[in-house]
Amino acid sequence: MAAPLGSGDDGIFEQLRRKQGAKVLEEKARAAEAEELARAEKAQRRLGDLISSNSTLPCTISNIHIIGAKHTRPGFLRGIFDPILSANQDHPYTLAEAINEVSRGVSKLHKLDIYQQPIPLSITRPDPTNSSSTPTDIDIYLNLREKSRILLKTGTDVGNAEGSAYVNALGRNVFGGGETVNLNAALGTRTRSAYQASFDTPVLSNPDLRWESGGLASSTQKPFASHEEVLKGGWTKLKWAPEGGGAHEFAYNGVWRQVTSLAGGASPTIRADAGDSVKSSISHVWARDQRDNPLLPTRGLFRKTLLELAGWGPLQGDVAFAKAEVEAQSALPVPIPGVQGETGVSFTTGLRAGLLYPLPLGLESESKPSRINDRFQLGGPTDVRGFRLSGLGPHDGSDAVGGDLYAAGSANLLFPLPRVGIDRPFRLQAFVNGGRLLALKRSSGKGNDSENVKQAAVSTVSELGNGLPSISAGLGLIYALPMARVELNFSLPLVLRKGEEGRKGLSFGIGINML
Amino acid sequence: MPKDASAPTLAATDPANHARTSAGHAESQPSRAPRLKTPEIVKRVFDRFPLRTYEACELPQGRTSSRDEHALFVFTTQADAKAGRSSYNPGCLKWQAYLRFQGLDFVTVPSNNHASPSGALPYLLPAEATSSGRAPIPSTRLQRWLKDGDQSGAKRPQDRGSGEGRPSADNQMRYDAYLSLLDHKIRNAYLYTLYLCPSNFDSIARPLYVDPSTSNSLARLTVSIQLRDAAQAELLKQAATIDAEVLYQGSCQAFEALSELLGEGRYFFDEQKPGLFDASVFAYTNILLDETKTWKETRMLEDLRQFGNLVKHRERLLQQYF
Repeated sequence: MAAPLGSGDDGIFEQLRRKQGAKVLEEKARAAEAEELARAEKAQRRLGDLISSNSTLPCTISNIHIIGAKHTRPGFLRGIFDPILSANQDHPYTLAEAINEVSRGVSKLHKLDIYQQPIPLSITRPDPTNSSSTPTDIDIYLNLREKSRILLKTGTDVGNAEGSAYVNALGRNVFGGGETVNLNAALGTRTRSAYQASFDTPVLSNPDLRWESGGLASSTQKPFASHEEVLKGGWTKLKWAPEGGGAHEFAYNGVWRQVTSLAGGASPTIRADAGDSVKSSISHVWARDQRDNPLLPTRGLFRKTLLELAGWGPLQGDVAFAKAEVEAQSALPVPIPGVQGETGVSFTTGLRAGLLYPLPLGLESESKPSRINDRFQLGGPTDVRGFRLSGLGPHDGSDAVGGDLYAAGSANLLFPLPRVGIDRPFRLQAFVNGGRLLALKRSSGKGNDSENVKQAAVSTVSELGNGLPSISAGLGLIYALPMARVELNFSLPLVLRKGEEGRKGLSFGIGINML
Repeated sequence: MPKDASAPTLAATDPANHARTSAGHAESQPSRAPRLKTPEIVKRVFDRFPLRTYEACELPQGRTSSRDEHALFVFTTQADAKAGRSSYNPGCLKWQAYLRFQGLDFVTVPSNNHASPSGALPYLLPAEATSSGRAPIPSTRLQRWLKDGDQSGAKRPQDRGSGEGRPSADNQMRYDAYLSLLDHKIRNAYLYTLYLCPSNFDSIARPLYVDPSTSNSLARLTVSIQLRDAAQAELLKQAATIDAEVLYQGSCQAFEALSELLGEGRYFFDEQKPGLFDASVFAYTNILLDETKTWKETRMLEDLRQFGNLVKHRERLLQQYF
């Protein structure tokens, strides 16, 4: 030992322990992982070789045996596997085709999220002495293990700029057809209480086509606009995920909203909107996420559109409008000269925009001005950073009263922390973001007939280009949790409008979907 | 010295903050982290931001009333508000009438309980020009607000004092006794006849209180049930059971007592001008005797009609002030 004895024993043990603790263990784990991977790969290859050498072998799937699906309706499983059976096909399979078809069926089972993954699959030839079998017949065996049918969770949650504690009860495969019942109760910082129940079922045994219905009751504080919003309502929607990617949702929503418990200093605009209103609307949401990682993207594109029609014609209710929103985010890896492979540096840009267009309610001829519940809010750590929550747009006194039109954009340069691997969920970012939130201008004509509203909308849209948007810029640290992204930013507002609330200095943000 | 010099710069370059403080809203202050002493140089750099400030964004076109008049938020219809007609809610009409008696210039704005700082209408939003700013004044503080004479900008109430409606000190006990007749006997019977008589609920309460809030029948049903439950709970606070006969007899006796008190006088307590007590009586007699309202169960107004001087009192005030 070269080390002097004095600092001796302890130091050595310490060192040993530390090494064991960090590096050695990590290396061991990595080696084991690699070995496991190699073994799996080999098995895969062997299987692949076997199949490919026999891939053109003609075969017929005579039986599919499903074992272990105790709580699943046979009829429901038949909906998935009946079309695969050779008896229902007009031409025989090759072995490769047969395996392909079966694995498509299995992937449907995976998507249902009611069985443990992976689902083991085995192929056998039926007993040749059985008189009903033909020489080309194969039998498929699927060994399912059902996931627990009732799941209770309690915990704390972080969403877009809010924290909450929740109790969640999930019932899987309730009626044996992949149906899900979800009950949720949450108490939180901004959402004072929220109760939600929903029922979700695959349509025609298709996990990519689901029908969902649900109801909610909640009470949310909106301190930026001096009120509390109480919601009671329900929805029903059809969710469809076509094979090419992306997801559609067609929904009907009926919500009774109350703007209540106004703060003492609430502005006249909020006071005028206090009270009840019922929104009855149909909506369509389309989203497609091609990013490599939704929280820390380095490449890929995310797009989302939302269309909503409320109160128009037979929809009734107390509010009538058409709403359109678009959202896009793109990420590009940035190559650094002299560095091979992934650099971990990426450039992301985000864009969001929305328009709320008032419509006449039912059969009335004039449209009513929008309400605080329906108008957009902009500003805060999850959209335009460097502003207070809902800090952009029209303010009546200290209340962010929202706007009918918005556009916001952001450009972020993400780079890995020095001496921290690019695989770790940390990044530094430099950003510039900005946006505008505008109320629909008063039309020059009297009243709110469709011609005047159109004129007002056009002049509001052209107002977007009047002057620079409200902008802020800054630097920050990003940490991607498994479910959310945390940001600590230092920022300064560059361009503002009077009444808008910029934020100088440090701000903390947590969110799932950030601009 | 440098500190003083930098203060105006802050105000000049940071109008967002400036607007905030001048709006007098303290709520967002705590969210700003406890301020450490920022070094002067950092402060000076910060003060340069934002680099550019544009004019404020236009407010959405809402249903907000004009901001340079006193606005009394009451239960009323849009048309009635425009025409300055009386509110259909006794609690609101009491103060609407009283402010009229006092000669205050104000407009009425249709509203609902959700909009009120105290959870109940009416409340008054003073004109923007007055020193009390735009802080709403609940009905319980209206009298003091009038007394404090904080209505600069709009027309001042004329001849305050003589028609205060407050009797001399020795009459205070009598005043309180009669007031409790109104606040209990008459109010209870009124609550019963309006909310708990199904026929009156359908012909009067539903179109006035329920239908304007929403067009959705399910929400209307819920609101109706809530209203009736609230009325029932209010009545059960004062008696173990709800007996219509007892309530109606109580209100009839109260009317009789009030009629005797009024006697041949023009106003209660022999005042020269109507005061708060007149307003309180008028608040009930007006809605009961209003020909445009179709009471289906008429027991209470028939009781009232027996007392000609109360009917005349109502007509007199209606003609003079509405």
